Parts: sequence; structure tokens; C-alpha cells
Amino acid sequence: MTFLSTLALAVAVLVVAPYLAHRLRRRRAEEQPFPPARLVEPSAPKARRRSRLEDRALFATRAAAVLLLALLGATPFVRCSRLSLQRSGGASVAMAIVVDDSMSMRAASGRTSRFERARDGARELLASAREGDAVALVLAGVPPRVALAPTSDLGAAKRAIETLSESDRATDLDGALALARGLVASLPQIDRRIVVLSDLADGRPDAPPLGEGSPVPVWVALPELRVAVSDCALMTADRSGGRVRVQVACGPGGTAAGRDVVVEDAGGVVLGRTMLAAGAEVQATVALSSDAAPVVARLLGGDAIAADDVAPVLPEAGRGALAVVADATEEAVATGGAPIVEQALSALKLEVDLRPIPAFPDRVEDLGGDLGVLLDDPPGLTPEQRHVLGTFLEGGGVVLVALGPHAAAAPLGASFEPLLDRATSWGDTSSMGADPASATGELVESARSLADIGASRRATLAPEDVASVEPIVRWTDGAPLVARRAMGRGEAWLVTLPFSVEASDITLRPAFLALLDTWVRAARQRAAPKRSDVGTPWRFPGAHVVDAQGPAGPVAATQDDAVVKLVPPRIGVYRIGVDGKTEVRIAAPDARELDMRPRAAASSTSGSGMGEQRARVDASGEVALALLAVVAAEMAMRAWSRRLRNAEAV
Amino acid sequence: MSPQATGPIRRAIDWGKLAPLRLRARQVAEGAYAGMHRSARRGAGVEFGGYREYVPGDDLRWLDRRSLLRHERLIVRQFETETDRALCLVVDASASMGFRGSRAPGAKLAYASVVGAALARIALGSGDPVSLTFLGGGAHTNSVPRSVGHEQFERIVAALEAAEPGGDAHLDTGMLEKGLQTLSRAARRGAIVVLLSDLIDLPPGSAERVAAIASQGRVLVVVQTLDPDEIDFPFTGNVRLRGLEGGAVVETDADTARERYVAAMQDLTRTWREAVVRRTGRFVQASSDGDPVDVVRAVVEGIR
Repeated sequence: MTFLSTLALAVAVLVVAPYLAHRLRRRRAEEQPFPPARLVEPSAPKARRRSRLEDRALFATRAAAVLLLALLGATPFVRCSRLSLQRSGGASVAMAIVVDDSMSMRAASGRTSRFERARDGARELLASAREGDAVALVLAGVPPRVALAPTSDLGAAKRAIETLSESDRATDLDGALALARGLVASLPQIDRRIVVLSDLADGRPDAPPLGEGSPVPVWVALPELRVAVSDCALMTADRSGGRVRVQVACGPGGTAAGRDVVVEDAGGVVLGRTMLAAGAEVQATVALSSDAAPVVARLLGGDAIAADDVAPVLPEAGRGALAVVADATEEAVATGGAPIVEQALSALKLEVDLRPIPAFPDRVEDLGGDLGVLLDDPPGLTPEQRHVLGTFLEGGGVVLVALGPHAAAAPLGASFEPLLDRATSWGDTSSMGADPASATGELVESARSLADIGASRRATLAPEDVASVEPIVRWTDGAPLVARRAMGRGEAWLVTLPFSVEASDITLRPAFLALLDTWVRAARQRAAPKRSDVGTPWRFPGAHVVDAQGPAGPVAATQDDAVVKLVPPRIGVYRIGVDGKTEVRIAAPDARELDMRPRAAASSTSGSGMGEQRARVDASGEVALALLAVVAAEMAMRAWSRRLRNAEAV
Repeated sequence: MSPQATGPIRRAIDWGKLAPLRLRARQVAEGAYAGMHRSARRGAGVEFGGYREYVPGDDLRWLDRRSLLRHERLIVRQFETETDRALCLVVDASASMGFRGSRAPGAKLAYASVVGAALARIALGSGDPVSLTFLGGGAHTNSVPRSVGHEQFERIVAALEAAEPGGDAHLDTGMLEKGLQTLSRAARRGAIVVLLSDLIDLPPGSAERVAAIASQGRVLVVVQTLDPDEIDFPFTGNVRLRGLEGGAVVETDADTARERYVAAMQDLTRTWREAVVRRTGRFVQASSDGDPVDVVRAVVEGIR
């Protein structure tokens, strides 16, 4: 303790002086001589209240005055932890503030969260900015975003800071720095800098030091945030029958041993409980004690972040299924077994279930759990089947149709509407295969294997239908070999050859596997999983109106390449309206955020010359004004009290 | 409204409106008595003067044996005789006598001095010798031996004017003893002893010892000289009172304590009165705001 600290404390002790003065000033009767005093019987004074504080308000005012006086004396020595900018030669500064809004920033830092401290730091930096400075705001949660484009309007910057909110996203500090560099690079200010307000816990503690070699000076402020703490998260909670299977993950050094997981219903009634075993990643099963629907699972026992200790319970999801409609008698290989397309799908190990069905279903519910439907040379579709197909496509389903001789010979009343408006034909072709140069998308590399597929005949689309599809691979004569057509939220893929080794060698080429892989991936994307990592975009191709309600309120949808996209910022349940239909999705914690070990920062990021965190605060003017006001109030109260006393005496 | 104190007691007497003592004493003496002092005393003599209860110290020669046999009571016979009667003034000059309340014209000592000087003038006018003895007092407080004549009046007045209140009779028990011993030597048989005192702060048993002066043919008159504030306790509210002798400091609510104080003062007065009257003495209570003439007259009438 320095001499000044001791002196300040000594002055502060004077706060009790008014109290003592009040005590001493209690009205003792003035002593006067009286010879027969020993004949007077002593008695307690009648007015006991005089021994108490005469005027509490007056006492409080005097105590406040002394306190303010002590504070006034101490103001030259008061330093508080505030961020402030330093300027080289007083020049204007272009500053990009990178605020980390990832889940790790929700851990506590003193009395508030790390994110709140970072936001306070941004406010403090803005408070030290001047007219002529340019400020940009970048958020480091995945994906990095620009919260405020560079502006010299400091008021707008302050308002932008106030709109920032916590999220449960993962961290992308490198991406955020790159974004920030791009923002300040084009600004006219010579003095440019990037201020990072983050705990640097991006799940990559061994990554190169942050800011190393950055062309724009980087200041990683708030070192107090860089504290490694342990956290465990409830990653999934899936119901299967009378059990709920939970998965708990912990960051490095953490363990869930001894902690309990409870499952509750909508009313908060505990339906089951289990104790977790030791380990960084633990799976446990909670047996339900009643038939009530479990709604939420909770990981009990406190840790760094409470938000990831709760997970909604979902019915256990399967891997997804592909319905395959293929004629086993014609498509089977010579050695027997499943049709070749089924074998190809199995060989790809796509972690989807194959569901061979004899014919395309004529009821919508029969395709309820399928990601996609593969039709190998179907003989047209009945009206009922066409209705089911249309509904499936509108709802986001994906269909792969291989057109062959049966498709061209569809019976009366059977057609491929709404896939194709016209009938297809099956006839000879002079083209030996596909033109590799015409390939697009994922088939670019493998299209070379389709240059000679030994097809003597092929299906041909009507010119009207050719115009309505998007060719992916063309025959050498320009006719589409593989084409795609968006329908509603779904997609229809067309191949103008059947998947039969009798018709061509296409099923024997690598491009065939690439085709199936691409199609299955598209099917998966269309049928977005019900649970995904927080911060991972949900895409709604073909959807026009998407609105979502998340744990923290409405979530705005954005457009990305004409596709509506929605990014869940928080862990929890989202009710999403897609063109009038409501679906429920869940954002789960990102395991990377559980590793809260801070990443190293380059030595050049200490902020030397760019700013300081300990700033002197000169509040003497305000304190002096307050002291003046208190003294004036004290005098007024004394005058009032005296007048009152005189009135009583009269 | 509580009386205003006069502040610390000054070493000199607060004469107030009682000054100058010499003129004031003459006025009082002239107003009180003109020729009523006849130097009469009861005791041994030729003319029967009545009976009274025997008190220890009475001459057994005057014990009435018939009354003893008939009533089984000790009764002594008194006789009157015309003779010179010495006046022994005993003035209490202890610290408490320097007190002057807000309503008094002067300090109690000043009032007692006026009464004493007036009595001395009356006695000297009748040719009786007068002596002056102080109880306590300051450094310049000196007794005046028995003498007669106009010069004696001047000496007594000068001694009273030079007196200073001082001494603590409550703590200094020898103060009263010293005064009584001096008085015993000066007061011969038939002498009139007038004690002017507030009777406050005297040690326990003082009343009996003072009353014993009334033996051996001496006449004792005790004049209790009190300040009016000491009589009716006019304080109000919380008061903090400091005794001038004994060091007593009392804090009290005056309104509550008044009744008990007055009772205590009356008890003190009654104790002295009974002790003095039992010895055939006279007891006169005087308030320093009263007319000294009335006090002098009461004393003279008590002597008769």
C-alpha cells in the first residue's frame, strides 16, 4: 500500500466525523452552580431522542460531503481499467473492432460475461474516438460478419455496439481478422489498426499466434479474458422408446464425472435422472419413469457456460432412406443379386438406408421418411403417383429418374408430369458418349469417363423439356445426358439412359458413382437435418418466405445465391415457417467451443503505441460540483432546522 | 424559564443591591428595632422566668425536684435578670454562601453580612459587646474578637466586607469544629449566638453539635440563609447542577426532581429546626430576596 493509498484511506475514515460530531453535540444540559445539588435526585433526561442523531438527513449530507471531499482529493490518483486509443501525432485513426460473439464469450468474467466486457471495451474505445476517426465492427462468431461497415459517424457506431448480442456460435478469429483488414485497408486514414476483443478461445490453441505478420497492426486487448476454464455441454438428447440417450462432451481437462442429467417434461417434472461417468465424451441413457413426453434434458452442476447445459429432446432420427424403384429382373447383373444401382449406392457407403420398392407409391405418407427417390426407367406415372411426386418435390424431395425404353413406352394415361411436359422417345444415337467439356458442378472431373459409354440407343427429351432443364452433362451432340430441374423446394434429376448394363456402360463408369454421390448429397441438403451445429446455415432452396423463431426471439433470414438462408445464433429450438408450413429444427453446441484454452497472440499485438487499458480518469470537476451541491444542501438544511427550532421555542 | 446562573463564584462577596454594607446595616438596624433590645436573658437571676425541659448541660441547681417527683419529667426553672449580653455572630463563609441566584439581590453571604452587621449595630447600640466568627472563608476572612463601641461596628463591617467565600465544609469536617471551638471560648454564659448559614453541605451531626451551643445559658439563634432558587428550585427541563462544596454534580430533569428536592430541603430545615428548638434555640429561615429587616426583627424577637 502506497503512502497515497494510506492517506486516501485516512481521509475516507473522516466519513465518521459527522457522526461523532452529532454524538458529541447531543444536548447535554449546561452545567450551573447550585449549592444544594446533593439534595437533587438525579434522573434520566426526559427527551431520550436527544441522545440519538438529531437529524439523520443532516448527518447523511455531512457524511456525503466528507466522502466527496475524500474522493475529490483522490481523483488525481484514480485509475480504472478502461480501454483508450493512443494516437501517433494526433492523427485520425481507422479502427476495426473485432468483437468475439462466440459461445466461449458467454463464460463469466468478473461480475459479467466475457462478451459484456468485450462490448464495454468497444464502448470505451469509441469514447476515446474523435471526429475524423473511422470505425468498423466485425463479429468473430462463425461465420465472421460485418456488424458495421467503416464509418466516421461515431453515433452510428455506438448504436451498432448496443445492438450486439451474445451468440453460441463457434469462433473464426482468422476469418474475422481478414474481414477487418479488408474493411480498413481502403480507408484514407494513415493510422489503421485492428482491435480484437476476444478470449482467443477458437478451439485451436496450437494455431499460429493471432495477428502474426498482419499488414495492419493488431491490438489484442482485454488480456483478462484469456483464462482457460473447463466447460461441458449437453450435445444431443434423443428419445427412443422409454429412454432418452444423451451425449455430453467436455473441453480439455474437463470431466462430467459425478454430474447428473435429468429429463423433464413441458411442466418441468423430472421424468428420469442418471449420473454420468468420467470422460471427456460421455454417453448415457436416461430411463423415463412415465409416459409423459420428454421435452428437455438438463446437465446439472455448474460450469463455465450454463447455456449449453440444456438440450431439447428429439425423437431419435434415423439415417435417412432412399427409395429405389428398379426392375430387378432387368437391372440385375448377370451374377444375380440386387440391381446395379442399389449395389452402387451401397458401395458408396453414404450412411443412408436403401428402400427398394416395386413401384412409385401413390400415397404421400409412403414417402414420409425418404430423402429421395430413384426411378430406373419407370413406365410413366399414374395420376396418383404424379400427385405424390409433385408433393414430394414441393416439400424439398429429390428425385433421380433414369429414362429408358419403358419410360418412352408409357401406357395410356401415364406420363412424367410435372417432371416433363412431353413424352420422351427412345431411339438410336450416333453419339458414343458425353462431352466432358460440357460437364458442370461435381461431375466436371469424372465426366471424362463418360466419353465412351457404348450406348447405341438413348432417351430423347422433347425440345420444350430440354429448354426447361439445366444440363449437367451433355451428349457429344448437345442433347442432355444428365440434367437437373428445380421444382418447388425439391429437385428432379434426369438421366437419358437407364441404369442397365444392357443399355450402356454408364453404370460401369466412375462418373456414375459421382453422379449418385452428388445426387444423394443434394438430397441431404434439401432434407436438412433436424439438428445441426449452431451457426451452421440452414438453406431453403426454392422457398420464398421463411421466418424463424429461436430461443432469443425472431431470426432474420437472408438470401444467398437466390436461396433463402438462415443461421441459428443460439443453442435451442427453432420453429421455422417455410412458405406457410412450420417445421422444428434444433441448434446444438459446436464442440469446438468447448475447448476454451486461449490461442496465443503475437507479441506485436500487445497494443503498444495503439492504446492502453489503464487510463486515468479525471472526474474532479464532477466531484467538485457534487460536493458544492451537498454543502449547499447542508447549509439549507441547517437554516431550515434552525428556523424550525426557533418556531418551537416561540 | 430557568434562572440564569451567575457563573463561577467570585472570591469577593457578590454584594449586589445590598451594598454598601455599612449604610445598609444601619438602615436595617434602625428599621428593625429601636430600643427593643433589653439584654434580657434567662438563667440564674432573681426573677422567676418559667420552666422548660432539661437538656444536658443545664445547671442541676435549677432542676425542679417537685416536677420530677410529680410528673417524672426533668424540668428546670428559669430566672430573668438584667445584664449585658454579648452578641456572638457566627457567619458561614464557606463556598456555598457565595451563591447568588437570578432573583436574589446579592449573594447569600452578602445578605448574611447585612443581617449580621445590623444585629451588631443594634447590640452595640445597647452597649453589648459583639464578636464575629467565620466558618470557612477565604484568606482575607478574619474574625473579630469581642468588643464594644462604635469602632467595633466599623471593625465588624470591615471584616464582613473583606470576607471571601471559600472552603468546603462537606469535605473539611474540621471547619465546623474550628469555628465551634472559637465560639466556645468567646461566648460566655448568657451570650447570644447568632449563626448565619445556609446549613448546606455541613457534615452529618452538625445540627446537634451546633444546637449544643445553646447550653450553659447561651442563647442560640440559627438563621438559615437561602437563595430563593434554593427554596423553590425554579429550573425547568434538563439541568446539570454542580454543588459548590463536596463536588456533587447532578444531571436531572428539573420538572421531575423539583418536588423531591423541595421535600429534601424541608427535611434538612426541619432537622435543624428541631435540633435547635429542642435546645431552646431559635430558628429563622431567610430568603436572600427577602427584606433583611424582617429577619433582624425575627432574630431580636427570638432573643427576647
